[in-house]
Amino acid sequence: MLKKVLWKSVVLVSVVVAILFYFNNKTLSQGSEEPVSQEENIPTKEFLTVKYLPLETKYVDKAFEQVDPLNIILQKQDKAIPHGGGSIKEIEIRGFHNGETIFFRLAWDDATNDERAIKPQQYRDAVAMMFPLDIVTISPETPFSPRMGDRAKPVNLWHWKADWEKELHLAGGYEHIEDEYLNMFDDFASNPHPVKGHSDLYASASLVSGGRASGTLLAKPDRGRSVEDLNAIGFGTLTSQVHQDVKGKGDWADEKWSVVIYRPLITSDKNDVQFVPGMGTFFNVAVWNGAQGDINGQKSISIRWRPLKIERVKYQE
Amino acid sequence: MATVHNWQLGRKMDYPYLESRPKKQFTAVFNTNRCIACQTCTMADKSTWTYSRGQEYMWWNNVETKPYGGYPQFWDQKILQILSDEGNNPMEWFTSAEDKDDKKAPYGYYGGDTIFELAKTKDLNQVAVGYIPEDKEWRFPNIYEDTAVSKKTNIETEPVKEYSQLPVHDRWFFYLQRICNHCTYPACVAACPRRAIYKREEDGIVLIDQKRCRGYRKCVEQCPYKKPMYRGETRISEKCIACYPRVEGKDPVTKGRRMEARCMSACVGKIRLNGLLKGNPDNPDPKNPMDFLIRIQKVALPLYPQFGTEPNIYYIPPRWVPRAYLRQMFGPGVDEAIEKYSAPSREMLAVFQLFRTTQTMISRFEIEYGKKVYETRTNGKKFEVFDDTVIGYAEDDTELVRVKVEEPTWESSEKRMITY
Repeated sequence: MLKKVLWKSVVLVSVVVAILFYFNNKTLSQGSEEPVSQEENIPTKEFLTVKYLPLETKYVDKAFEQVDPLNIILQKQDKAIPHGGGSIKEIEIRGFHNGETIFFRLAWDDATNDERAIKPQQYRDAVAMMFPLDIVTISPETPFSPRMGDRAKPVNLWHWKADWEKELHLAGGYEHIEDEYLNMFDDFASNPHPVKGHSDLYASASLVSGGRASGTLLAKPDRGRSVEDLNAIGFGTLTSQVHQDVKGKGDWADEKWSVVIYRPLITSDKNDVQFVPGMGTFFNVAVWNGAQGDINGQKSISIRWRPLKIERVKYQE
Repeated sequence: MATVHNWQLGRKMDYPYLESRPKKQFTAVFNTNRCIACQTCTMADKSTWTYSRGQEYMWWNNVETKPYGGYPQFWDQKILQILSDEGNNPMEWFTSAEDKDDKKAPYGYYGGDTIFELAKTKDLNQVAVGYIPEDKEWRFPNIYEDTAVSKKTNIETEPVKEYSQLPVHDRWFFYLQRICNHCTYPACVAACPRRAIYKREEDGIVLIDQKRCRGYRKCVEQCPYKKPMYRGETRISEKCIACYPRVEGKDPVTKGRRMEARCMSACVGKIRLNGLLKGNPDNPDPKNPMDFLIRIQKVALPLYPQFGTEPNIYYIPPRWVPRAYLRQMFGPGVDEAIEKYSAPSREMLAVFQLFRTTQTMISRFEIEYGKKVYETRTNGKKFEVFDDTVIGYAEDDTELVRVKVEEPTWESSEKRMITY
């Protein structure tokens, strides 16, 4: 009897071991992510200093002239399908804070201004900054994926979108289908007797309005901001925050985008990265060129983490 | 990539996720022989789900005229072209007795590449090969309506015939009814980089989570049937939802029982029967009308099975169309299906009577046998018709319908005749 039980357990254990051995290093789901190199886990020596400038918000543009830029060479995203990007070669970043708010200015060359994503073949220009959510050390011994973070290693992302920027300054705060397709009309637009006798139908329109009914920020008019505040724990996990804290302002002139992104140094949201003057963290950037069909993983990226040093607040005597 | 079994191809294939079949599978049988392209299904769907801003071009259901038509234009030719031009293997079916297996390979074995395999082997930066249609391709839900193709003849030596005759017409077209196929291995699910699309375990319906979707349009690009569509107004994508509230029995009309989708129950030509397949394809239920027609009789066939997504809308192929074209569209089961449809068995003829008799989903049928009423010869064989009665039951065993093969008629007495 005991022998039988012993045999059974030996067989079962060996089956389990065999299964574990077989599936070791095998991805059972979408195996489109390639392993990243060790080098990617080493932050660069070059860093960005976020200078302390005791200025009011309205002097922001001039303030950026007082701080040194960091130029980052970008490259194609080629580790997770869909690969892409690479058309934006370089980005210039400047940063400062005034003791309350942290400001970044990102500037890059882009010959086209793509500020609409209404046609199925139309993509927006965008830029994003990524920070580790928590206070971390990054080294080959303590790796931290520079690509959208990882399980138990969340990142906070700020994603500025050219179409959101445009909508921010429009009456109604939203571009509609007829802004792209001039003569497009739906049954509601052409109904000569609106509402009367059709109140149920009219009330139902928002319910079947897909994205709008689900409350996604992408489909929301009057967002009041052009930067989306997001979190991620790896490829495909990007999620918009319930509490949006980041704002921005973008300008396109002389075939160049210049985007200012700002947020209070400290927020009450546990999903936000916190910036303590005198301390530092890391950041990464990504740029999407709409004219090249950039979206999602198809983006130009900085790859290695850049240290971010936030200057102490200097109190005046 | 995982390895999964695709019974329509009769082989294993690569797919990004493990094989995980739903408990039941939303399905329908479309009898192309009966369709008159009235587009009532198209309008039923439009007026239910896609009547709002940004959905103007979204026809989740459409009926197109084959061979020229398509919505978006040339959707199927384009995918076939990619598979043919880029494919590593010839797009061939092997249908000898040893290639067939009633459970694992009922149509035989397909040797060509699926859309997933091609993308993987050619390193195409896609999970499934595909393309995003241009705006002009979305202009007409039924472009080339009623445009026939003629057999090519040398006009000098062989004048074009003025008439056509079965089994294959010299001049032909037919209507193809298309909705989302709610595939077992959906390309949209595979393509989505953020898993915003999911297949429901309870009924196999494939849905785009409107909260998760960020409008990347990978599903639009990689669904070979081109049924996920980008909605510019909301900046995210939408697709046919199989009227899931009705399928769940939420519509009060059917008193909590599963109800057929809008496009199905609106069908004027009575070409559609909507129901749920048993989840396990190896063990079909002979009393379930869907399992019976699709898995047991094999009279209804998948649309372009060679794409590899295991689509779940099944078609009874049109009898008059050249077989080579049909084999390309519905696979090698075409000849058997047409033969069976042309002279249906006693049981099959009874089940055909269930089409469009109720909008509650029929999950079981019984047949009460009646007397012989008719006899003829079809395709050189004796064909008998019996006045059997077919009874359809709902999932909870409530009797829904009772129909006879011979339609009952009633003649008025002469006294009631009024002459003018």
